[in-house]
Amino acid sequence: MEAFYIRDLKIEKPVVQGGMGVGISLSGLASAVANEGGIGVISSAFIGLLEDDFSTDFQNANNRALTNEIRKAKSATSGVIGLNVMAALTNYKEIMNIAVDEGVDILFIGAGLPTDVPNQIGMKKFNTSGVKIVPIVSSGLAAKIILRKWDRNFNMIPDAFVVEGPLAGGHLGFKKEDLDKDDFSLEKLIPQVLSEIKPFAEKYGREIPLIAGGGIYTGRDIYNVFKLGVKAVQMGTRFVATHECDATDEFKNEYIKCTKDNIVIIQSPVGLPGRAIKNRFLKEIEEGHAKKVTCPWVCLKSCDAKKAQYCIGKALANAKQGDLEYGFAFCGANAYRIDKIISVKELFAELEEDYQKAKSE
Amino acid sequence: MSVEQKVKEIIIDELGVDEASVVPEASFINDLGADSLATVELVMKFEDEFDIKIEEDDAEKITTVGSAIDFIKKQIGE
Repeated sequence: MEAFYIRDLKIEKPVVQGGMGVGISLSGLASAVANEGGIGVISSAFIGLLEDDFSTDFQNANNRALTNEIRKAKSATSGVIGLNVMAALTNYKEIMNIAVDEGVDILFIGAGLPTDVPNQIGMKKFNTSGVKIVPIVSSGLAAKIILRKWDRNFNMIPDAFVVEGPLAGGHLGFKKEDLDKDDFSLEKLIPQVLSEIKPFAEKYGREIPLIAGGGIYTGRDIYNVFKLGVKAVQMGTRFVATHECDATDEFKNEYIKCTKDNIVIIQSPVGLPGRAIKNRFLKEIEEGHAKKVTCPWVCLKSCDAKKAQYCIGKALANAKQGDLEYGFAFCGANAYRIDKIISVKELFAELEEDYQKAKSE
Repeated sequence: MSVEQKVKEIIIDELGVDEASVVPEASFINDLGADSLATVELVMKFEDEFDIKIEEDDAEKITTVGSAIDFIKKQIGE
């Protein structure tokens, strides 16, 4: 697999490990991926939920955990480290600022439209830091809106884009009824996003690489999307099934055990559909048995804690820690194909071999 | 063409709705079937067509046909 560039930043292997919250991709996984030449991505989503004092001092717990994970990752690798940030979070701006202060290479921003990032970081800091901004979108329209706003307001454009298709894991940027429609498949979305990017790449005289994610599982899958014009892939599910993944073995075992039939689409309390492995917890929610919601802090703009059946942040943090009685695992559509845990190094070797095989045919 | 008429035409065109449903109190999201992305795009269209700049904070308040007309009128000093 060939190296790719996000502006001046060279990435040896065109594989982005997708940010996975809560606490699934932290410094352990991200640094292992960066050491193999890919982009390791820490998930900032509700990172403070894993600290002891989250219920009494959520904001400090969050900022402390975030700072620690970035420092740990950076001390364990000289490779490229990114941070996944959700624009829907109430502390979105604060997270981005901590990340830039701590020297994160790239911000991957999803769950909303990152139209005002240079202002939110502060123009001077933004320009001197050299941080790369990569919005995650699920449609050509979202890419167009972000590009036009940046172009118009800042005379700048984001450094790259991720297009995430309907087979991805976790919260999805589609309506539930559109998930199975062919028009919304990753293969259909890629050319749409590419055509929105093209005029801006031409105007600014530089490449805006597109990274594709959602259902990419093998080296052959990587080869197939490269043929459509993308420069790198984003993968999540495969990285859960690694020794270095920051979740507990109980969480990883959910992936090994699950079958195609128990990977389901849930309607998350935050108002988006999400793909998850169905367990007793989710079954009880589906049957209308609400769990007690104690909301220490309104973390998501779109969440109405009074109406929520459960706290998704807490449920995901529990799952990460191995408590699947009061939690559940998000996963990509291909998670049922996972049958063992391997190392990140082995995964990269497997992807490379399979990619070369597909290429030679 | 009046501001009202032009705003209505943009909405009909962008959201693909009937002229009859584009009344002042109609909400883009609740009544005219727009999602949040379509609403953002609609506001950008207003910016282009009327050659004005709508800040993010103001854009969030433009949720109905009437609020769009009022805001644009004020912007262009009508």
